[in-house]
Amino acid sequence: MDQRVILAVAGSGKTSFIVDSIDPRRSNLVITYTDNNYRNLRSKIIRKYGSIPAGTRIYTYFSFLYSFCLRPFCGDVCDLKGVNFDVPPDYTRRLKRSNLSHYIDSNRRIYASRIASLIFNFEIAEDVQQRIKKYFDAIYVDEVQDFAGNDFNLLLLISNSIDAVLVGDFFQHTYDTSRDGNINNGLHDDYTKYKQAFGEKGFDIDETALRKSYRCSPTTCEFVSRVLGISIDSHHDRESLFQFVDDEMLAESIFHRTHTVKLFYQSHSRYPCNSENWGASKGIDDYDSVCVVLNNSTEQLFRAGQLSKLPPITRNKLYVACTRARSELLLVPERYVKKYKR
Amino acid sequence: MVKVITKVRLINFRRYKEFEIILQPERNIIIGDNESGKSSILQAIDLVLAGSRSKVETIGLESLFNVDVVSEFLASGRDYDKMPVLKAELYLNEQHNPDLNGNNNIDGKMCDGLALICAPMDEYSAEIKVVMKEVDATFPFEYYSIKFQTFSGEPHGGFRKYLRHLLLDNSQINSEYAMREYVKSVYRSNAEDIERHKHQNEYRKHKANFRDNVLIDVNAKLDDYQFSITTNTKSNLEADLTITEDAIPIDNKGKGRQCFIKTEFVLQKRKSAHPLDVLLLEEPENHLSHSNMKRLISTIAHAEDQQMILTTHNSLICTRLDLRNAVLLNSSSSASAVLADLTPETAEFFMKAPDNNVLEFVLSARVILVEGDAEFILMEALFKQVIGEDHEKSNIHIISVGGISFKRYLEVANLLGVRTAVLRDNDGDFKKNCQEAYEGYVSDNIRVFYESDNTVRTFEISIYQNNADLCDKMFSEGKIKLSPQEYMLNNKTTAALRLLQEEAAHLTVPEYIKDAIEWIRG
Repeated sequence: MDQRVILAVAGSGKTSFIVDSIDPRRSNLVITYTDNNYRNLRSKIIRKYGSIPAGTRIYTYFSFLYSFCLRPFCGDVCDLKGVNFDVPPDYTRRLKRSNLSHYIDSNRRIYASRIASLIFNFEIAEDVQQRIKKYFDAIYVDEVQDFAGNDFNLLLLISNSIDAVLVGDFFQHTYDTSRDGNINNGLHDDYTKYKQAFGEKGFDIDETALRKSYRCSPTTCEFVSRVLGISIDSHHDRESLFQFVDDEMLAESIFHRTHTVKLFYQSHSRYPCNSENWGASKGIDDYDSVCVVLNNSTEQLFRAGQLSKLPPITRNKLYVACTRARSELLLVPERYVKKYKR
Repeated sequence: MVKVITKVRLINFRRYKEFEIILQPERNIIIGDNESGKSSILQAIDLVLAGSRSKVETIGLESLFNVDVVSEFLASGRDYDKMPVLKAELYLNEQHNPDLNGNNNIDGKMCDGLALICAPMDEYSAEIKVVMKEVDATFPFEYYSIKFQTFSGEPHGGFRKYLRHLLLDNSQINSEYAMREYVKSVYRSNAEDIERHKHQNEYRKHKANFRDNVLIDVNAKLDDYQFSITTNTKSNLEADLTITEDAIPIDNKGKGRQCFIKTEFVLQKRKSAHPLDVLLLEEPENHLSHSNMKRLISTIAHAEDQQMILTTHNSLICTRLDLRNAVLLNSSSSASAVLADLTPETAEFFMKAPDNNVLEFVLSARVILVEGDAEFILMEALFKQVIGEDHEKSNIHIISVGGISFKRYLEVANLLGVRTAVLRDNDGDFKKNCQEAYEGYVSDNIRVFYESDNTVRTFEISIYQNNADLCDKMFSEGKIKLSPQEYMLNNKTTAALRLLQEEAAHLTVPEYIKDAIEWIRG
């Protein structure tokens, strides 16, 4: 069995790598994380093979979890009506794990972050594994770094029974599929330990195949490596524009430039311009000119040359934002544009 | 890959509160009395495979729901939690499709399948409770949802078809709608997707051409308003298609011919990429002459491309297509009996034997089997002598098996639990012919009755000896030269007919026949 984890950097062609790895004659299970990636993968597969190969199925993670893993076993028994993507209310945390109300809301929708937990606690994990084995020869997972808690364990369980290619960028971990108390708590704290978690399950770790970025220029890569402490190389040698905009007038004109996307730490929709949040820009590949907006605390760390001291999740989000840039990366302090905030 | 339905389960569907039928991968012949629920099964399969809510809505939940369950609910405490749910489930063979696989079925078993579920909508529970409090409340079908899903819990319906099927209902031959549906499904199973799109597109082009080139003379005389040709859901290629034979549309043919063509056309071997997986035939014998029926049977017998489920009232159809494929529905219970366990010899026998009444036998609870025409003619009168009423009134059937193939029938009787009395001539050796010959067949439900005096070899001799005076008078007049008993033996049916017509009320019933009649009434 082929069991591989490919650790990649931003813009190194993870999606294309997966598309190229697929053998269209086999039964392939392709799981992506975001809707963006789902559409992206789908269109790349169609472009390459003419259509989705007969045995290949592409799922976003939660629709896979719900409709492939859970519902066939307990849709009727638990009278499930769908998935609730909200954060489960606090009181449910105190309920026993054997109590279905811990997992399912009053409208009979299951909390997305607790599907994997239910699968383990109600002992259907082995059935799920059998089901995967029955229908698929190989599994391909994109954005593997976002699997946490029980989802991580479930992923290892199902990947261990067929050929598996898991692709991800440890430093693009900006989000947890689920948090389950101390299950896999601290998994993402340390890169070496993270690799070990796969190694122990017999996975080969490949850190070379997707080491270089096609999207990011040497300029961006140098900035990210030096300032954020995340090492990344470029495939080409074209320098790009990089500027810290410490000028209110210029900042305002950039704010109004429609071809430059403004990436905010949060609440981008309160700014009337072409914008997105750092974390949500993950997987987006078609920005050319990117303006990363720094809030006060980040700006101060940047000025002090201490961005690598950001909390890991924030640092990772900033890494995601900066690595969206192709030909231009601008850093703008948020205070210069705050007046436009609604 | 062959796609077949292995089992159908129904809950609260039409006449069934609960029902289950196992289906064979090739041919299934569903037989049963009127009102035994044959069409309900075909209808359930048709609805689930079509996955069309509007089809269910057109029929109406009121006519699909089991009547008893509805009235029981209304008569009970009308508890919201106990509102009846209608389910129709089709269990399929392994399809290797995860979208079909799961345990969301009544059996709770992991397998492939499709279901129709009609249940009250929880969103309206408050309204339903209010409605149900009214004393003269009618059942709240309006608050029910119609849901199609696979056993994996995936919604199903609309474009994606897991199995291709066609319901051919020859009892609805006059309906324009049925005809259009028929032509549409046959067209779809013959033409590839791409071909169909091309046909439809070309058809629209032709309409446009007609407007531009033919209607131009009238349109040229008009200004702002112009004539054109309709193209919409009611007027398109599939709506306008028909099937012709020798250039005559089949809707213009006689009903019999129409039925024949429709069935035969569906059954012909095709090279289509989308052959039908399941064919549902409702009483294909309708409107057919005897000879056409025989032709149709041979066509059906040679169609092996798809699973076939047909209902019939016709003995010929069910014997010629192998009785072992027959499933008997009983109008008095929801159980179905299968004849699959018949020995091949017996199935073969009925396939080849002259036209017979096996279906009547199969559908009866109590039967007296007799050897030949003479017995058959007189039994009616003898029965009335003993019991004082007609055998039909006692729900007892008399069947002449022609010859001595009793054992074939007894095998069927055994499988189905038909209470059967056999009237057998001893032919000079009752031990050999009437006892030893039926060892292993006789049971609580099956008995052989015979004359235990070896000199009374046949039915005629027994009748003569019990009614010597009467027969001597009748059969020694006129041209008759033989002794009365010889005459009766040589002219069995003529003698029997005369006895029936002239002396029916005065016959003395032979003891063994009397025993048989009394036993069969139980």
